[in-house]
Amino acid sequence: MTLKPPPLMLAVLVAVAGILLAFSVGLLSGSSGWGWPTHDILWLIRLPRVLAAFGTGAALALAGALIQLVTRNPLGDPHVLGVTSGASVGALLAILLLPVGVPFGSEIGAVLGALLSMTLVFSLAWRSMGRGLALSAQPGTVVVLLVGVMVGAASGAVVSFILAVADDFKLRNLVFWLLGDLNGATLWWPAWAAVALSFVLVWPRAHELDWLARGDAWAWTIGVSVARRRRIAILAACLATGAAVATAGSIGFVGLVAPHVVRLTGLRSARQLLPFSALLGGVFLVLADTVARTVVAPTQLPVGVISAAVGVPVFLTLLLRRRA
Amino acid sequence: MTWDVEPLPQSLRLDCLALRAGGTGHGRLLVSELTLHAEPGERWVLLGPNGAGKSTLLMAIAGLIAPDAGSIVLGERSIAGWRSEALARRRAWCPQFWLDPFPVSAWETVACAVLATQPQRDATTVEQLARYWLQCFDAGLLADQDVRTLSGGERQRVALATAFAQGAPLLLLDEPSSHLDWAHQRLLQRLLKQWSADKGTALVAVHDLNLAWALATHALLLDGKGGAVCGPRDSVLTAAAISAAYGVSVRLTDDGDTRWFRVDMETGE
Repeated sequence: MTLKPPPLMLAVLVAVAGILLAFSVGLLSGSSGWGWPTHDILWLIRLPRVLAAFGTGAALALAGALIQLVTRNPLGDPHVLGVTSGASVGALLAILLLPVGVPFGSEIGAVLGALLSMTLVFSLAWRSMGRGLALSAQPGTVVVLLVGVMVGAASGAVVSFILAVADDFKLRNLVFWLLGDLNGATLWWPAWAAVALSFVLVWPRAHELDWLARGDAWAWTIGVSVARRRRIAILAACLATGAAVATAGSIGFVGLVAPHVVRLTGLRSARQLLPFSALLGGVFLVLADTVARTVVAPTQLPVGVISAAVGVPVFLTLLLRRRA
Repeated sequence: MTWDVEPLPQSLRLDCLALRAGGTGHGRLLVSELTLHAEPGERWVLLGPNGAGKSTLLMAIAGLIAPDAGSIVLGERSIAGWRSEALARRRAWCPQFWLDPFPVSAWETVACAVLATQPQRDATTVEQLARYWLQCFDAGLLADQDVRTLSGGERQRVALATAFAQGAPLLLLDEPSSHLDWAHQRLLQRLLKQWSADKGTALVAVHDLNLAWALATHALLLDGKGGAVCGPRDSVLTAAAISAAYGVSVRLTDDGDTRWFRVDMETGE
């Protein structure tokens, strides 16, 4: 099978067209159908929500692409690091324990939860990441993955416990939060800031992430600071995930699939994969959120439902058609 | 295009080297008190039974494993004293196994090694160099293929092209002839000879005694119990030494410059 990347200009044009389409669809459609919204609705409701959706999608996709590269695992996504679940625990605890009406309660809870689980994953996996070199070609980052999965499992148990003890009124909030919902997204910029910061962290030596994927030891022999590259990439992925979860709750699927779709188009090197995954994730989540809030209006569906319902079949179609 | 990279002549000196399995202090003793000097222009083959420490020794020389005792000096400095970027321009390591988790074309795989050691080059030159090295290994037509769809021998040639493309004068090749057919084994021999004619050094782990003779100027024979014989190929590759290391009887026939090896196998049903 030959691999020819598409011309970069074409990819940029498609990305720009996608962003324009997503923003216009997102801004022009509302619960009462299509049309130009009033000034206040546009600036105070629709635009922040579309921006929040874009930032969240971009952050999740970027985190997914980074985790896949660094763990050499095509199944990598933000959930794998346990950060999503940790953030969920923080947010749910905040919803459960704080009185109604505390500003940004669940957001702050999510950030704290994300930071806590990040620290836990980091400190537990630090030894293996610090020593760095797996001498066989086997993945040297299995420890990070396993620690992430374990932290995630522990957080999952806490989430179940919270759901079991919550009263009916709060339960609805909690469930919406777990499903991933942009309805409560009040701030749009933290996700954008996290994406920007993550890019600043990984971009200068992003091409070395491609080399890392061929095995730690080999990458080291061609001069890559394996342990440092990996720590920075994981830190960036955690930042992006934490901000995304704080903005919109736990939205699955985007982080896993956006990088794969970008790879299927032939944009494979990290310098192309990371930005285009972020753009695709953003566009996808804006569209998914638009569908979520309009399809059975005035009822708003959680965006996680739409992203999975649309994304899974699209991804499977792409994947299976390619293989055949 | 020529080889394009001028290997800086450098010698490799192993002094009283001791290595243990897994590179830890507790592993089985593989090599004890190994002293070896490899000069530019020499081609060394590493021989020994399975698990004798050929790969471990190559990794130690690559700087991936700290030796249990003794020193490894490359050029004017100990291996541990070089920074990994500087080391990348002095030795290339071609492992036995490769991991290709994501789709990537053959030329991009080779280009990694070029870009890592010659970051000043522009993208076009890097691609040209990568394709040139693939052509050298008769893999020019595979340049745009996904490495995950290559056969074992094709992947091995891409790996060898990657190691040569790195431009480091010391080549550490771990079983480079695995999966290679006869024509490509001969191609490897020709390229290694050209490499050493340009003052490069090569350390090559192999299993086939006849191929070892054809590739080498010098040989190192490990017995896996700490013992080692090293020196010019005709003094190391003797019936007595090989029988002692492998525990099989072997017959030699000298035919001009060539020495033929025949290991006694059971015949009949």
